[in-house]
Order: sequence, then C-alpha cells, then structure tokens
Amino acid sequence: MRASPGAGRTGFLLVLPALLVLCALSAYPVLYGVWLSFFDKHSIFPGERFIGFANYLAVFADEDFWRSVWLGTVYAVTTIVLQLALGIGAALLLHQAFPGRNVLRAMVIFPYVIPTVVAIILWKWLLNSQFGLVNYALQAAGLVGTPISFMGRNWIMASLILVSVWQFFPFVVLAVLARLQTIPPELYEAATVDGAGAIRRFRYVTLPHLASVLFVVVLLRSIWMFTKFDTPWLMIQGGGAETYIRTLPIYTYLRTFAYYEAGRGAAMAVLMFLMLVAGAAVYFRLWRREEHL
Amino acid sequence: MTRSGLLAARRAAFVLAASALAFFVAFPFAWMIATALKPSQEIFATPPTLVPGTVTLANVERLFAETRFATYLVNSVLVASATVCLTLALAAPAAYGLTRFRFRGRETIAGGVLFTYMFAPIMIIIPFYVMMRALGLANTHLGLVLAYTGLCLPFALWLLRTFFQSIPLELEEAALTDGATRPQAVRYVILPLARPGLVVTGTFTFILAWNDYIFARILLAADELKTLPIGIADLYNASVVDWGMIMASGMLVLAPVLAVFLVIEKYLVAGWGAGGVKG
Repeated sequence: MRASPGAGRTGFLLVLPALLVLCALSAYPVLYGVWLSFFDKHSIFPGERFIGFANYLAVFADEDFWRSVWLGTVYAVTTIVLQLALGIGAALLLHQAFPGRNVLRAMVIFPYVIPTVVAIILWKWLLNSQFGLVNYALQAAGLVGTPISFMGRNWIMASLILVSVWQFFPFVVLAVLARLQTIPPELYEAATVDGAGAIRRFRYVTLPHLASVLFVVVLLRSIWMFTKFDTPWLMIQGGGAETYIRTLPIYTYLRTFAYYEAGRGAAMAVLMFLMLVAGAAVYFRLWRREEHL
Repeated sequence: MTRSGLLAARRAAFVLAASALAFFVAFPFAWMIATALKPSQEIFATPPTLVPGTVTLANVERLFAETRFATYLVNSVLVASATVCLTLALAAPAAYGLTRFRFRGRETIAGGVLFTYMFAPIMIIIPFYVMMRALGLANTHLGLVLAYTGLCLPFALWLLRTFFQSIPLELEEAALTDGATRPQAVRYVILPLARPGLVVTGTFTFILAWNDYIFARILLAADELKTLPIGIADLYNASVVDWGMIMASGMLVLAPVLAVFLVIEKYLVAGWGAGGVKG
C-alpha cells in the first residue's frame, strides 16, 4: 500500500469508534463488575458500601454456591462429551457421499440457530408428563408403566442435558466437517494401499488432522457450556425441581436479581471467570504435553 | 460373509445412521408444526398423529388476538435490525482500517478482540445492568441495542477482518494509481467484493439479537417493549399452558431465522472457519 503521510492515523481513526464502543460495552462492565464485587450493593437502589473481601468470604461459606459449581461442572462436562461424540460421528457421516446429503447437512444446523426459548418449549412439549409424545411412545412400547416426570427432580438434569446436546452439537458438526473437507483424499488412498482398515485410517489419518480444530472446539464449548444461562434457566421455569439444575450461572443470576445482592452476584461472576481462566490454563498445558508425546 | 453381502450391510448401517440423525434433528420441528396446526381437541388425542386430521390456523389467530405477539414481533424486528446496522457501521470501517493500514498497536487490537470471547453474557450482565440503570437506559430498546452491539462487535470485527484480508490489495492499488480517491476505491472496488462478508456478518448479528433471552429479560420490564423470546417465555409461564398457541408462536419465531439462514447457507462454512457465532 502507498505509504502516504498520515496513513497510519487514518487507519487508527477508522478503528477508533469500534474500539471505544467495545471498551464502553465490554471492557468497562467487566472492570466495573470486579469493582462491584468489593461492595455491598443492592441491585436496584442507589448507593454502595465498601466491604473488602466480605462478598467473597460469604460466597465461599455458602454451601449452595459449591453445589452450583458441582452441578455446573456436571452439566458442562456431560454435555461437552456427548456433543463431541455425536458431533464427530455426524460429521464423519455427512462427509460421505450419499443421496440427500446436502439437505441433511443444512438440516443439522437448525437446532443451533433457533432461539433457545423455542428449543425449550419444543422439548417441554415432547417430554410433557401428561400429553408428551415421548411418554406416549414409551408406554405404547411397554417400556414404562406410568409416565415419567421428565421435569421432576430425578430426571430434570437428564432432560436438560438432552436438550442442550440437541441444541449445541451442530456447532461441533460444522467445525469438524469444515476441517474434514480439507484432508487430502490421497492420504486415505495411501493408507488403504498400505493395508490400513477403516478404524486404523480414522486413528492415523483423520484424528491427527482433526486435532487442531478439536482443540478450539473443546475450548469454546467449555467456555460456553460452563457459562450457559438461558437453556437451564428456561428449563427450570415451572418445574418445581429448580435446585436440581441450579448451575453456577443460574445461582449467580438468582443472587443478583432475586436476592438483589449485586455485589455478591458480581463476586460470583468474577469467581466464574477465574475458574474459566484456571481451566483454560490447565487445558493448554495438558494439550501441549499431549503434543510432545 | 461375501464381499457383496458386506457392502450391503455397510450400506444398511449407513442409511440407518443417516435416518436416525435426520429424525433426531428434524422430528421435534415437525411435531411443533403439526401441533401448531391442529385444533385443540386433536392436540390431546390418543393415539397422537403426526399429520393433522384437520389443518387450522386457529392457534395462530388466537396468538394475535389474545396476546401481544404482534407487538413483540415488531419490537424484535426493530431491535435486531438496529443492532445489525450499528454493528456493521462500527465493524466494517474498523476491519478495513485493520487490514489496509499499518499503525502501532494494530496486532494488539486484533488479539484483544478475541479475548473478549471469554466474557460470557452472564459475567457482564450484572455490571451492565447497574450501568444501564444509572444511565437511564434500563427498560429501553436503545439499551438493548447497545447490549447486543457490544456482544456482536468482537466476532463481527473478527469475521470482517478475515473477509477483507482475502480481497487482494492490488485491486485497490490499481484503482488508486488510476487516479481514484480512497473513498471511490472503497465504494467501487472493495464494497462489491466485501458483500458476502457483510451479508454473513449481518446475518449472524441478526440471529444473535433475534434469539437472545438474557439481556432482554434483564433490561426490559414493560410488556409493550418485550421482544419475542421473553414474550414467549412469559406466555408459557403465565398460566395453564395453551400448547397449540405456544407451538404456533415457536413456529412463527423460527420462520425468519430459517429463511435468512437458508439464503446464506452457502457462505456459512467460511464464517465458521473464521470462528464466527458464539453461543
């Protein structure tokens, strides 16, 4: 590009508005949140009082907090494992040539692009204990005698996991499929000539090529599942079993907008962020060690 | 087993897997649409049927007559469109600046943008809410548009940057050498080539704003300001669930998302490769 005087300044001026907005709407709230976590602050009324680490100490002493961390971890880990298994399987399938493949490829993405509220009402209707189709099918097949209460305390976590996997596995499919398409077919031909079967071809040709994309997918999905709010929150509504899926994001929200403790809610949000950073640090280290093997 | 027998078995397994996947993904939608189009007595009939015996729009009519669905719809369209305009107006010049000019801190800015991916809505929402209250923007559409713009700007910037990077510098240089001014070069050379990128980015932004629940839930209290996702959630929670009407509302909310989505489907893999869309 022509090096005209002031060209750098023009570039910076073009970036500046976006940068200012990002600072005001993303960076500032994050820092303000950290500041808030050291104050006793009501969510609605003005005024706040500095209380040091008291919010954090209260959080650490709160059994419900630890329970929400545990439930959030169970939810995140289970859904991520299932999304990966289903997503990779579906991507491998959709990578093969068969009639109707393109239609199926387009369809698979649907659950990911719809509003969460639609995914929830859809599945609450299917899983309804009185009129739900799933219960009807289970009873008609003679698998259960009485309808299962899928929104009850024994099943709510399983139902939530099912809906979440359905909603989010397409992300894995798309990412993996995009990568699969860039693997040169010659590699498979060479492996076949060398006598490798389907399983060994997957292990020694496909998997190494997928490593980099899976690294990113697992990282992003972990961040998003661990902080997922709307799916569990909408699932909770009207069930009576809310404490059984009260994950960390849900509990943070409740502290702020049901108990009106903005300071304490902010402290939990900060802790959530620190857990993510710690998790990411461990993840990066594990991955690096894996690569040296 | 013979070789042809093996092939047949393989093919059968294949068809089975593909059908199972199609069923898992599509059946809930089919069931929703079927329910939305059934008269109420048929919705609860045993045995249930996938194809409605009588097709009726009564559920849709009730939705518009008895609830404020139309208001929510207008609100959602307004908020999502305004978000797309504001996001693109900020992100497009910035992405152009990042790819076409050298200046100090350029790489830091590009990297820092990615870092904001770590900030999930639930971590921002508390201070954001307090901030919006202080500014008098709680319970306004403007506050909501600002929230979505902040949410979408990082990935919009990132996506557009990769699109601008793929436009060869030589084209622009040729135009400038031929005596075009920079605005002219942008208008006649860059914009036409960047259109797919703008369309994809705009679509992702629209879908994110259209689908969001948490920001609308926290920022909007007045019923006449609500967007569709919270409108529907409140409809569901209000009283005895009217399943026909709820399914009709779900069907109508989906329509624009799926329509927009099918239009840009061919561009989508590019967007995904660049790390677009969060959720």
